[in-house]
Amino acid sequence: MAITYMLKLEQQPESYDSKFKTLTQGINIEVHNWILDKIAPDQSILEVGCGTGSLASKMALKGSKVIAIDKNYQMISYAIKNISDKDNIDLLYQIGTIKNLPVPKESQDYIVSTFMLSELGSLEQQIFLRNSWKALKPGGRLLIAAEFIPSGFWKIPFKAKRWFYKKKLRKFNIEKTNPLEHFYNYFNHIGFQITDKIEWSHGSIKALELQKIQKKESSQPGYYKPKKPKIKGISSQLKIWRCLLTGQVDNVSIEPGLYKSGNPDKNSPTIATANYVYTFIKVMRDLDGVDAWVLCVDSNGINVWCAARGNDFGNNQLLEAVEATGLQHFSESKRIILPQLSAGGVSKPNLPEMSEDFPFKITFGPVWSKHLKEYLRTLPKEKSQKMKRAKFTLRHRVRAGITHITFLMRKIFLLPLIALFIIFLGLDIGNLINKIWIISDLLLWILFPNLILIFFYPLSKFTRNFVIKSIFFGIINAILLGVITWFLRRSIIYISLNIAFFIWIGFFTTMSFSGNTMTTNPREIRNEYPLFKKLNYILFSIGLMLTILSVFI
Amino acid sequence: MTELKENNSCCDSSSIGNFLKALNLRIVINPSKCIACGLCEEICPFGLPQKENDGKYNISNPQECVECSACQRNCPTQAIIMQEQQGCGCLWDARKKSKGECLDDSCCC
Repeated sequence: MAITYMLKLEQQPESYDSKFKTLTQGINIEVHNWILDKIAPDQSILEVGCGTGSLASKMALKGSKVIAIDKNYQMISYAIKNISDKDNIDLLYQIGTIKNLPVPKESQDYIVSTFMLSELGSLEQQIFLRNSWKALKPGGRLLIAAEFIPSGFWKIPFKAKRWFYKKKLRKFNIEKTNPLEHFYNYFNHIGFQITDKIEWSHGSIKALELQKIQKKESSQPGYYKPKKPKIKGISSQLKIWRCLLTGQVDNVSIEPGLYKSGNPDKNSPTIATANYVYTFIKVMRDLDGVDAWVLCVDSNGINVWCAARGNDFGNNQLLEAVEATGLQHFSESKRIILPQLSAGGVSKPNLPEMSEDFPFKITFGPVWSKHLKEYLRTLPKEKSQKMKRAKFTLRHRVRAGITHITFLMRKIFLLPLIALFIIFLGLDIGNLINKIWIISDLLLWILFPNLILIFFYPLSKFTRNFVIKSIFFGIINAILLGVITWFLRRSIIYISLNIAFFIWIGFFTTMSFSGNTMTTNPREIRNEYPLFKKLNYILFSIGLMLTILSVFI
Repeated sequence: MTELKENNSCCDSSSIGNFLKALNLRIVINPSKCIACGLCEEICPFGLPQKENDGKYNISNPQECVECSACQRNCPTQAIIMQEQQGCGCLWDARKKSKGECLDDSCCC
């Protein structure tokens, strides 16, 4: 099932219906029928995410009063064009989003939404549920269909398929959808009970009927708080390592939401952070012994700096997190302490501070979470120099080096190395030990420039130009690796034939390391790229030819 | 990006670009707008804004600016003139952008 592709189809409303039907293998029609069977005539219905209006018009034809909204302008204008004058139906199309449902409180018998929830992040899903709760009459029902992550055995083929589609989608530059994973946890807390459900494709598509339940005297829906993941012990350490090893490639996220450090009360401080697993665990560990609220915004599983430099940690994410978690009901401190590095995305002057939607002021706390305790203790004193500066210390370089090595192996070197080894097995170049020896040599050559970067990167401070840095480390790499190779091989010819390759791999590794230091300017790298490409091509061709020669001599 | 535009409602982004190009600078603080609050110095991860003798702030080493826009988007008087460069400076991001594979503003390593 590839509802992932849905976002691509939405760009063309004319062909959306037929293509989406093919995509879901007709299940969307079965979903429509299930919903139509549920709805009695003469009801007031709000459809959220109506698309081309195919379901909305069917519901209206059954005699209900339907308001259908979609955030996509193309879809709505297409839907309006398709209303035929002959039918005497009560149907209104409108542009609208889940954050602002265009109906009065307690006015709807049904709220319907098909295949929209998986386009939302988990905080947005909670906001949708809360707003639906408010718009429904007492006992009103929410009918939703969405792509879910199946449980049990069928989770495995489902995840494998998703992984395959994700790769394809990257090529098309389309945002991916999020099948619902934790949705079952939300609705009980917010105030719904499940009254009926139906499944397709081993549970990867589900339709649910949820009934609004109202506790006495409470006119507000509840809030959901995610369960805090373990921050100590082996499992959390494995997660930390996982992030270190896959840092540049994988976004590893935890559920965004409001978490507790210790036992916070109404006067405890609120710390905001990103929902990257590594970031979260580090922040929680550094807050050990402090009672605080931790507001984890939905940064798509990206760390604070990179999320803020993209579009993943900004005012929108902060406002959304406050709305979904109801922070003001738990904390009266009226202040949210943000990581300093989120300032590249969050804009204080543009935040509606102390308004009804955002009854808080924000403060930028320390850069690193390890200084949080000291920062909280010394408040309201100004931050010290070490708290507000991002130094690229040896510790950071070790972590960046590990991430970079695994990144290079995964993206570039691993498959060629395996292929080479298989080819070597068939070639007549000495015994097996010899062949393994050559591959280990290559592995050393890949690892070594990263070690140089970890220990000697500050030596290149004399320039900001990465091509010059790369040539500098290319030469250092050639000298040091040459010395090591002398001890391993004792052959001047072998070394001199491989010098060009040593220079290339040092050059290439340094250039590829650019994204790992915080001091790199993306514009400079983009400008340097054409020159890098040329030099890389020349150095690599010469290096490779001479190295191949050295194997046979 | 919309926030950036709101922040500089007086001038469109290309005129800011041309202005900075003419000065051959990445970032500059308008001294007549600076109210010496010190927020830029506090949030710049590299400590580039420095207090001058007149109490106002000035960018000490503009060539070291990574154009993250933290100071610009948080300056209460919009005194800082610069253009945000999104992404984290990764070579692989630069490669994809040069091929036109990455239309997104954020980093695609």
